Formats: sequence, C-alpha cells, structure tokens
Amino acid sequence: MATIVVNGVKREVQAPLDTPLLYVLRNDLELTGPQFGCGLSQCGACSVLLDGKEIRSCTTLLSLAAGKEVTTLEGLPARWAKQKGLSAADAEKTLHPVQQAWIQEQTPLCGFCQNGMMIKATELLEQKPSPTVQEIKEAFTTSGPSAHLCRCGSYTAIIQAVQLASRIMANGGKA
Amino acid sequence: MKNQNIFGASLSRRRFVKAGGALFVGFGLAGVDGLNNTARAATTMKNTLDASLPESWIEIHPDNTILIRTGKNDFGQSTTFTAYRQIVAEELSASLDSITTVVAGDTDRTPDGSGAFDFLGSGMPNIRKAAAYTYQALLDLASQRLRIPKNQITVRDGVVSGGGKSITYGQLVQGQQLKLTIPVKGDLLSPMGLVVDGNPPMKPVSQYTIIGKSSPNYITAQKVTAKANWATDVRLPGMLHARMVHPKSLGSTLVSVGTLDRAKYPNAQVIVKGNLVGVVAPTEWEAIRASQQVAAGTKWRDWKGLPGHARLFDYLKRDADWKTTRVTKSEKSKGDVAPAMSAAAKKLNATYQLPYMKHAPMGPTVAVADVRADGNIYIYTHNQNPQALRGQIAQMLSISPDNVIVRAAAGPGHYGRSNGGNAGAEDEAVILSKAVGKPVRVQWMRPEDFQWSTQSPAAYSDVEVGLDANGRITAYQINHYMPAMQDDRPIGAVLAGLPTMPAPNENGVFIGSTVNDIQDPWIYDGVSTVLEQGYGTFQLGQKASPLAVGLRDHSMRTPGQFQQNFPRELAISEAAALAGADPIQFRIDHTKEERAIGVLKAVRDASGWETRPAPRSKREGAVLHGQGVSVMFRSATFWACVAHIAVTPATGAIKVEKVTVAVDPGVVVNPMQLKRQVEGGTVMGVSIALLEELQFDESAITSRDWRGYPILKMADIPEINVVILNKPEVGTYGGGSEAANALAAPAIAAALFDATGKVVRRLPLKPEYVLPVLKA
Repeated sequence: MATIVVNGVKREVQAPLDTPLLYVLRNDLELTGPQFGCGLSQCGACSVLLDGKEIRSCTTLLSLAAGKEVTTLEGLPARWAKQKGLSAADAEKTLHPVQQAWIQEQTPLCGFCQNGMMIKATELLEQKPSPTVQEIKEAFTTSGPSAHLCRCGSYTAIIQAVQLASRIMANGGKA
Repeated sequence: MKNQNIFGASLSRRRFVKAGGALFVGFGLAGVDGLNNTARAATTMKNTLDASLPESWIEIHPDNTILIRTGKNDFGQSTTFTAYRQIVAEELSASLDSITTVVAGDTDRTPDGSGAFDFLGSGMPNIRKAAAYTYQALLDLASQRLRIPKNQITVRDGVVSGGGKSITYGQLVQGQQLKLTIPVKGDLLSPMGLVVDGNPPMKPVSQYTIIGKSSPNYITAQKVTAKANWATDVRLPGMLHARMVHPKSLGSTLVSVGTLDRAKYPNAQVIVKGNLVGVVAPTEWEAIRASQQVAAGTKWRDWKGLPGHARLFDYLKRDADWKTTRVTKSEKSKGDVAPAMSAAAKKLNATYQLPYMKHAPMGPTVAVADVRADGNIYIYTHNQNPQALRGQIAQMLSISPDNVIVRAAAGPGHYGRSNGGNAGAEDEAVILSKAVGKPVRVQWMRPEDFQWSTQSPAAYSDVEVGLDANGRITAYQINHYMPAMQDDRPIGAVLAGLPTMPAPNENGVFIGSTVNDIQDPWIYDGVSTVLEQGYGTFQLGQKASPLAVGLRDHSMRTPGQFQQNFPRELAISEAAALAGADPIQFRIDHTKEERAIGVLKAVRDASGWETRPAPRSKREGAVLHGQGVSVMFRSATFWACVAHIAVTPATGAIKVEKVTVAVDPGVVVNPMQLKRQVEGGTVMGVSIALLEELQFDESAITSRDWRGYPILKMADIPEINVVILNKPEVGTYGGGSEAANALAAPAIAAALFDATGKVVRRLPLKPEYVLPVLKA
C-alpha cells in the first residue's frame, strides 16, 4: 500500500509495494496512456514523468514512486495549464503543446509508442525550450535507460512535432 | 414500391416508419451467380451482418450524418479513418465531415471480413463499390421524391438538387426504412473475406473534390490524449489476468508442471492442457510472479531440430527439401534463356541471402476472451483479420462460428503477422477462459513475443544475368528459394493438441501452401529472355518438432516480394556495372513501362544523383560515399528509391545519410497520410537493411528482446525525401502503406558497391558481414 500523487491528485493504492508502477497506473488507477511494451526498460512505451523526469514505469516499483509526483499522458494538459497559470475553465479546453503538435503533424502511425515519445518530448522541452535536431535525436536515443523505439518508423514525424511543439510553447500555447 | 434494379443491386422499401429512418446498405446473395456454399453460409450466420438485416456498409441518418463499416482493422495505415471516408464522401458527393463514424473490424458489426492489408484494393476497395451503389439508390429515391428524371439531378455536399427543388440525403431517408441489396462473392471467414461484385457507375476521377486532399486522421487526437480504445485497455467484470508458461524450445513437450507456491500466490491457479500451461490470478502482478515461479519448476524435454542461424544458408542450400513442392514460374518468363545465356558477352552469376526477420510489434500480443455460459465466446483483441480468427477459434473448439464474436481494438502495428487471423494470444485466452469459466486476459511478455510468434522467412536466390557486347541484358534467370510464408495455426491450439488448420504443406491451397509464388512483378520488359522460378519448402524444424512447431513463418510487409526484389534489384545494379552504365539509365533503357521510367526519373532529379557508372572511381579515404537505386511495382503503385550512404572501410559500419523515394500510386487519395506512411516504411527499410536478423540456435529463438533484435533508433535515421507523383489519369488508387519498407535494402547495398567496389549480397549489412567482403 502506498500514497502517490498522480496528475496532481493524491491517490491511495492497495497494490503490493513491489508492483511495477505501470500495472498500478493501468489496473488500479485506470490510467491507460502508458503502454506495456517490454517490461525491461528497453523501449519507452511505458514512460511517465516522476518529479518531472522521464522514467520507465514498467521497471519502477511502486515503492520508489511513493511520495513523489507522477505525470502520465492523461496529465499533460493539466501540467501545462498549471505551468501557464490558466484558469480551471481554460485548462479544461487545453491540450499540452506537445499533444497539439502531435495532432497537427499527424505523428502517430500505429501510435503504440507515442505515449513515451510525448512524455520524452515534454521532459526535453521543459529543460530545453528550443532544442536542435541533434539535441532531439540525442534525447530520444541516448538520454534515458534506452532509446525510445518506434517500429512504424515515425521518427521523422516526431522530430517535426517536437519542433512544432517548441514553437507552440514559445507562443504561449497557441498553434 | 417494387424492387428496383440498380446496376445489379436491388433497392426496396421495406416499410415506412414514423420517426427516424435510415438508408441501410447491406449485401445480399439473391440472384448472384457463382457463389459458393461457404459464402452463402457465412452471410446467414448468427452474429454476422446479414443481407436481410438493416446493419450494413453505410448508414445515412436523418441528421445527415453517415456511418461506414469495414472489416478491415487499422494498424497505423490510417486508411479506414482517412482514405475510406474520403472515398465514400466522394462517391456519394457528400461532405467529408458528414462521415462521422467508422466501425471497423468487429465481426458482428462489419460486413466483409478480410485483413488489414491492401486497403485500397488497387483502387476498388469494397467500401467504394458499396458507396457507388448507394449513390445510385439515392439518385433513384431523389428522382421519385422530386419528380424529376435522374439525369437532371445534381448532388453537392449531400444535397440533391434538380428542377428548382432540393433535398438533403437526411431528408430523403427520413421516415423510411430502405434496404439496398448489393451483390457480393467470396468467403467471409477466409483470409480475403467477401468482395463486393458488379460494376456500379463510379464518379469520374476528373470530378474529384475530396480525394487528393490531405485530411487528418481523427483517431490521432484520441491516441495522443489517451482516449483511444486499445486492446491493452480491455477489462471485463470478474476478469482474471494470465501469463503463459511456454515450452523450453520449439519442440519441447511437457514432462511435469512446477508446483504453485500457494502461500505466496494464494489466488493464482495453474491450467494445463496438453503442452499448454497457463497461470491465472485476479491481479496482473500476481499472475506474473506466480507464472515465473511455476515456470522455474516446470520440466520440458530437450529438443534440437533447427540448424541454428550460423548454419542457416548451408542448411537451406544443402539439406532443405525443395523437391516435394511444385516449382513456380512467373507469367513474365519468356524466350529460351539457356542459349541466350551461353551466347552472352558478359555474365553475372551470384547468390543473394536474406535472414529471418521479426515483425516485432512494439507491444507483445494481448487478448481477452470471455467464454460465456450461453455458449457464446467474445474475444477482444488487436488482429489484422477478425473474421478469419473467428473461424480459427470455432475450428479449435469444434463449434459453429455463429458462437464466436471478435471485437477489434487498436494496438501496435503487426506488419502482416496477424493478417491470417490470430495475433498470438487469442486462442490461449479462450482455452483458459473456458477452463476457469471467467473472462481471461492473456498478455505475452516481451521474450515470448520474440520467441513464440511467427517470423518473416529467410530466403536466398540464385541469379544469372547475361549481357551482350553493347551492355544490354539478353538473358535473365532467377531462382528464388524460400520456406513456406504463412502459418496461421493458432499456437495455443497447437500446444494444447486442439484442432487447427494444417501446417503449410505441398498440397495446401493459397497461402497455406509451401509453394513459393513469384511475387515481384518483372518490369524490365526490354529483356528478351527471362526465367523466374520459385522453389518452396517446409518451415524449418516444423516436421521434426514433437510439438509440430519449429520456426513458424508469417508474411511481413511486402511479403515474398521483398525477398525477391532485393536479389533482383541488386543484381540489376551489378549488371549495370558490367555494362559500364549508369544504374538509373540502365534501368530506364530496359523497360518500356512509362510509370517505372517516371519514378526513376523523379528520384534521379530529386536525390542529387550523379549520372555515372558504379562503382565510383575515387574510392580512398577513411569514409567512402556511395549512391544506389532500386525500383518496384506493388499493389498498383510504382516505387523508386535512391540511397546515399557513408561507409567506414576500417569497421564496415554503414551510415545511411539520405533516402529519396518517388511513389506513383496513380490517384493519390491523401498526400499527407501517404507521405507519413512512406517515411515510416523507409525507416523500417533502413532498419531491416542494416540491423535485423533473427538469432536462433538448434532449439529455440535466442533473440529475446530489443537487445537481441535491435531496430533502428532515432539518431540513426537518414534524411528522408518523399516525392509523390499524382497520376489521376491512371484511374486507380495504388497502395502506399507497404513497399516503402522494401526499397531501401537493395538501394543501400548498391550504394555500398558504388562506394567500395565490393558487393555484399547478404542482409543485414552489418559490420560482421560487410567487413570480410571489404577486406577480401
């Protein structure tokens, strides 16, 4: 049993402390943004932000997330709204710039990996608002426990979407 | 109202209704010749959309919204959510936005079956014909309602006008329940499903206003906001989580099952049927832990019946049985090759080898099965052919397909792996659900998905090319060798000893056969003598495996054609070098096919190609650069590709710097979606060219995860340029979701030759294989 803050809300979880966070999110909290891709920290499909840092929820035990703040794909709009100090009414209508860019660029093919791609993009843009193409490639390839993998080959579209998200963020959230 | 005959379809008003009403377009069998009994039976099954029921292909609602249905489930191609809506809107002269709903894949909610491949059907997908029939029916209805002749009616954005009057489609169907019966043929549960028959009039391409424009995929927004329905998300009341304990090897039978530690896992349960072992528990984590504990104590017999990947091509060349299976010959084979070959001034004689590859979806297979007390079985899954799966599950349990319902959800791309029915976990979920009397969710773990799924078969080809003194090809012979390509037997059924279709064999029909058909259409019609032959054999280890398993194969993106196009195109590049000719001009000089010439010229112009023979004359330095080309015709689309690479001779490492692809599908339906598909396919193409090769030993697949089966990472992608050639005059919509993946490998291998003067005729082009050739 543990208490974790997920997408800004404190949640009591009954699952054993050795349960990987991914199963807690998907099964106990019904947050299905993160996907089970490998269970080995090798692909990134399960990524979430833990205190703002991209981690692999498939190998992060619940005990390690206790007391920390978890942001899932579902929580990106609220995260952006909070950062921008938007009213509750505006926050309801808002998507995170990364999500806006992903839609505008029609980035996903099957889309299974894109949860992790958007989480990684969010982490990157919070640290580096205007990354170069080289920095984007490094972020998705070498910065984490493994590269973020996409079998459909959407990497080109991801790079374009990160660049667009950067511009949207610089423009205060407007595409 | 009497039945009206509309180009072979028939329209009737079934009854008047007071409110609501809709035009339902279904399919019927009445009066259609040549239908086999299976088709007749399939469309009258329970839990199937039937000609006598109002559910159907297309629903036009009184509020002017339109719903369309297709048996094809999306796997990232986006076609069902983009192109299909455009095609229906175009044929109906309705607005794109009026098509608000696409129902896809569910076996009880969609009409036609078939798989997630060939979505555009070379320009004639079922949904297009269904829409064309519907349009004619709507014109007839409007003609009667407005009391004006059909030929004086115009339709725009779903509003029918004529004689100074107008009416919307919604108003036209308001208060009436109408049924259009259109002819179909085929077998719902077969891999190809039902096909809409007849020849309804189609809107001329010159009048298109919706097809040809980029329209977004509305599913994208759902996926990026975590609102999509993924198969991974399905949770049913009372559902148990399961993990499988698969055998130790691809031929290991069960000796004894490990004892479950009930103190540690009080809620878990072990289920054994034949060689199938599964563990279920109320929570996923308990199922995982308990299955690991049981697996550790489970004993399997040893088995060694595979050659191992190090000896693969020796085995295929020397030991495999290529004699039992009928040899095929292409339709384009012509003339007497042997005398032309012996008269040739120059000759190329070479063998090309392609490894086993994995489809490697990003998510391991997952399915939920609910075997209900009333005898109905609901399966929730992500597979490329829900109706075929339905038939397989019915066969496994010796029950009627009437009682099997497959609901399709989103999931990771499968690239062909489940296009014949099962995706891997469905049959196991059914077996376990039946055993425990509750819904069961089977999720394979990552190593299982590598080790127990099917693979794209290895292949090799012997090529002989003869050229005359002027550098023209006068003789071309290619013999392709490849084990059976498609084993659709559900693995859980095989392990449990339950009924399945036979393994691919020499007498099998269609794709259940060991026959190696010629898949790569010959486009060099300027060559006077051509012989293309296909040799097939059994899956490796399958006959010797006590489980009847071995290395099971399955079609993967551009199946068979990739295995045949790589040797052909690399050999043509080598032949161009023998002729001292530029590889693009050499190709152009050997074909009369204008569209092939068109894509070759387009890719030459767009890529920065240097027109000259290969290899380049200056081949010194720490890093060498090269260019290479490939061309292909597939699914009514012409493709050409130029790769620019850098190779480090000291290490054998290849960096693909730029890939330029020209694609001519005829009518371009959705340029933006096509571009994204081509970019994605190109990345997969570079990945399979440089990295991908299944590792296996004498017992089992040893590629267990993404370290054992690496794929391309973002840092290693090339610059990708896509040139789309829109050719409305062609009149058909060619496919664009596959073939892009097959183009890069022969172009990269040709670029390696250009850079170094050495030919590596084996994929993948990894240092281990490249370096010895460069040093030789």
